[in-house]
Amino acid sequence: MTRGTNGLRLLALFAFLGVLCPVLPAQSLRLPPHEKIVLKNGLTVLLMEKHGVPLVDIFALVKTGAAADPTGQEGLASVTAGLLRKGTKTRTAQQFAADFDFIGGTISADAGADFTNISAEFLTKDLARGLELFSDALLHPTFPQTETDKILAQSLDGVRSAKDEPQAVLRLYYNGYLYGTHPYGRPSDGDELSLKRIQRDAILKFYEANYAPGNTILGVAGEFDAAEMRKKLEETLGAWPAKAVASNPVASVPPAKGKRLLLIDKPDATQTYFAIGNMGTAANDPDRVAIRVVNTIFGGRFTSELNEALRVESGYTYGANSVFDSRKAPGPFGIFSFTKNETTTPAIDLALQVLDKLHKNGVTEEQLKSAKSYIKGQFPPTIETSGQLVRRIVINEYYGLRDDEVNELEARLDAVTPAVARQIIEKHFPVDNLVFVLIGEASAIRPAVKKYADKMDERPISDPGFWPPPSGAQK
Amino acid sequence: MKKNRSCGTALLLLCVLGIAASPVWAQSEEFPVSSHTLKNGMKVLVQPDHSIPNVALYIFYRIGSRNEHPGTTGLSHFFEHMMFNGAKKYGPGDLDKAMEANGASNNAYTSQNVTVYQDWFPRSALELIYDIEADRIRDLTFDPKKIASEREVVASERRLSVDNNNFGLLDEQLRATAFIAHTYQWPVVGWMSDIQSWTMEDLKHHFEMGYSPSNATMVVVGDVSPAEIFQLCEKYIEPIPSHAPPPPVTTIEPEQLGERRLVVHKPAELPLLMIGYHVPQTNNPDFYALNIMRSVLFQGESSRMYQRLVDKDQLALDVSYDVDSAFDPTLGVITAQPRQGVDPQACEKAIYEELENVKGALISDRELEKAKNNQLADFYREMRTINGRANTIGTYEVFMGDYQKLFDAAKSYSAVTKEDVQRVAKKYFGPNNRTVATLLPEIGEKAKQ
Repeated sequence: MTRGTNGLRLLALFAFLGVLCPVLPAQSLRLPPHEKIVLKNGLTVLLMEKHGVPLVDIFALVKTGAAADPTGQEGLASVTAGLLRKGTKTRTAQQFAADFDFIGGTISADAGADFTNISAEFLTKDLARGLELFSDALLHPTFPQTETDKILAQSLDGVRSAKDEPQAVLRLYYNGYLYGTHPYGRPSDGDELSLKRIQRDAILKFYEANYAPGNTILGVAGEFDAAEMRKKLEETLGAWPAKAVASNPVASVPPAKGKRLLLIDKPDATQTYFAIGNMGTAANDPDRVAIRVVNTIFGGRFTSELNEALRVESGYTYGANSVFDSRKAPGPFGIFSFTKNETTTPAIDLALQVLDKLHKNGVTEEQLKSAKSYIKGQFPPTIETSGQLVRRIVINEYYGLRDDEVNELEARLDAVTPAVARQIIEKHFPVDNLVFVLIGEASAIRPAVKKYADKMDERPISDPGFWPPPSGAQK
Repeated sequence: MKKNRSCGTALLLLCVLGIAASPVWAQSEEFPVSSHTLKNGMKVLVQPDHSIPNVALYIFYRIGSRNEHPGTTGLSHFFEHMMFNGAKKYGPGDLDKAMEANGASNNAYTSQNVTVYQDWFPRSALELIYDIEADRIRDLTFDPKKIASEREVVASERRLSVDNNNFGLLDEQLRATAFIAHTYQWPVVGWMSDIQSWTMEDLKHHFEMGYSPSNATMVVVGDVSPAEIFQLCEKYIEPIPSHAPPPPVTTIEPEQLGERRLVVHKPAELPLLMIGYHVPQTNNPDFYALNIMRSVLFQGESSRMYQRLVDKDQLALDVSYDVDSAFDPTLGVITAQPRQGVDPQACEKAIYEELENVKGALISDRELEKAKNNQLADFYREMRTINGRANTIGTYEVFMGDYQKLFDAAKSYSAVTKEDVQRVAKKYFGPNNRTVATLLPEIGEKAKQ
């Protein structure tokens, strides 16, 4: 049991002997130096030496994600990623797992809305082996039929398992209800119907069409020599044949108009889980630093206005927050919380009051000062490890963001004034046009929550899919 | 961030694990933890690391739900929440506001055994953190209004993590069945009726019982020097008087003499299976062999249980093993989520067969080596952040009895043999020692009633 929703757990109990490196004087926050090279086949490579811990982290980003899934085959990008290590030209799935586990390595592959990422980590002493395995998965997957059947069936049960925990599926319903048929509304891991439709052929085609050096950014960070690493990468990933890839642009959609509410019935729920919001921003939005400051004040930390009101002062909930999920095109913005059935409307009313107050009062100089200090103080541990760093530089590269994202952060934070914040609130925080999604015991909360919207939709959680209801979804 | 080369932890004793150390590590000095015990009995451990301008500070109190009694279960956890709700200098809400305004964040966790407070902050906030920690250890206040609202917060936390979470729900039922005498039988968050019933007196008593400085260990890792930390401790913490520690927990769980089974019926998409075995406390010498056995059976997609249940027989969505750090003999829990339509007993049967295989024949050399490689890699992952190190140093100090046991861990793992793995499998993973909990989905109309 922890105090906060992001609490840590007791960790496994083992350790060895360590030492400390020499002390260097404090400097302002900067990304460690790194270099960018483009291999002959078009693969963009980012290299960052980071010494002290004998680990190497690799992060490959394929610039195609779940937003490119064909309608009705949601989950295709995700399943394709999951199958990369489930059989290659020279290894069965079982051999691959045995080889990777033997060196104490970790590997994962996953598709989000904008991109697919494949990441791995292993000890520096196993660099050659780790790199060879990573390349094998990325370049030579064979998508065996048995493994394909297995992963599709497992993904299907994964969706079912998630539906047993309202918190785990709230955002899937919310994104679906907010975006409708737009690609950002699709469940990236698929649903109970789409996963039954995906065939091996479609997976092969998806891989062939999208996995190519010119469509990939590869980052490596950790304890290694950059010149040697470059040579090794040229030998392995340099052999990946170049090919043309069609781009998959995601269109922006205008924010939702009016107010609508989706009620998902989970008859045994003793708590209502809710999301409220509208379209947010793109990852490269010029206002992004100011938005971060204002959202820190509004719903981005323990003493945020939302958490103060819904948890600290009223005791309605264990936690309330707000999130801008920024993407290539404007991603969702949402307020998220949960409360027992009886306090569903008081809690939602209060969340809306806090939002109104933000629009009415703006933020004070003192709040800004505190939020800036908080962001600055909490930032260094987010770029502490090679795993964190490689992810950051690759994703920045993908979204067209530069090192000044980190190196100029303090100056950009300092530039946010109450007047700037006022503009940010007007422009980026919805107030009159809102989408509501609630998961809870419909019979207990339905009459009271009607008041929030002009239009109300409802479906049982046990019906296949999320929103909009897939065709043939009635159980 | 430092401009050039940032430093983390490098390691010694790699050769013990059959791994050649690079020249850099070979020149390494001893793990630089400085230790000092204050006059009031609180032990303070400091490890400087200047790679980022930040600090992780942990305070471990040796009090948790095992020190509770029927009627006030969950009190330790509730008290943990109240430690943020006002003291003499920093009143209700002031603590969090002051910390965040100075770039700091905090959290805390409660287990059956300990209550741990965590602060993460830029070194510029160092003195503020000590002022705050001293204030709440010395002069915590109990505002009836805060108690009332925080009670609701904890009830919401329970709904989130137990009532509306099948894993939390079944785990709670499992422990309540596996233990018949020891206080590990109730949930850390507490039974809902107890959450609704604690009194101000209960809270005050808990503070007096568990929060003596002598009952706590402080660990500080990051951009600090031991001298400045010990100075701050002398100024802020040392003047706080000590008193008697909590009364010892004397109940010993009697040996389990036969399998226990329980079933939970609940609306659900998928069933759930948990099997608990009584295993020894953390400082038992079998700890290392049990960890190697866990790795062979459960760690990674090449592990025996994953290969059997998830991959080959396709009976389960996943399968895992967890055991908490514990002062007393505790429960090792195997969790498997059966696939839709799979009888949980089919999962059970496969799990038992794999356990029998470990008992019947020695694991291979390669499996043993793989398990040791994984321990090493996991260790680096844990020790590469200031936060991970603060937690690990503290956990060793508190549960192994001495942070210096860190120095022996590599040797201890290295000494584990295939025969040891077989021996602990036979000793702890027999049918008479297990409790089997199954969640069976109710579907259709019944679920909607």
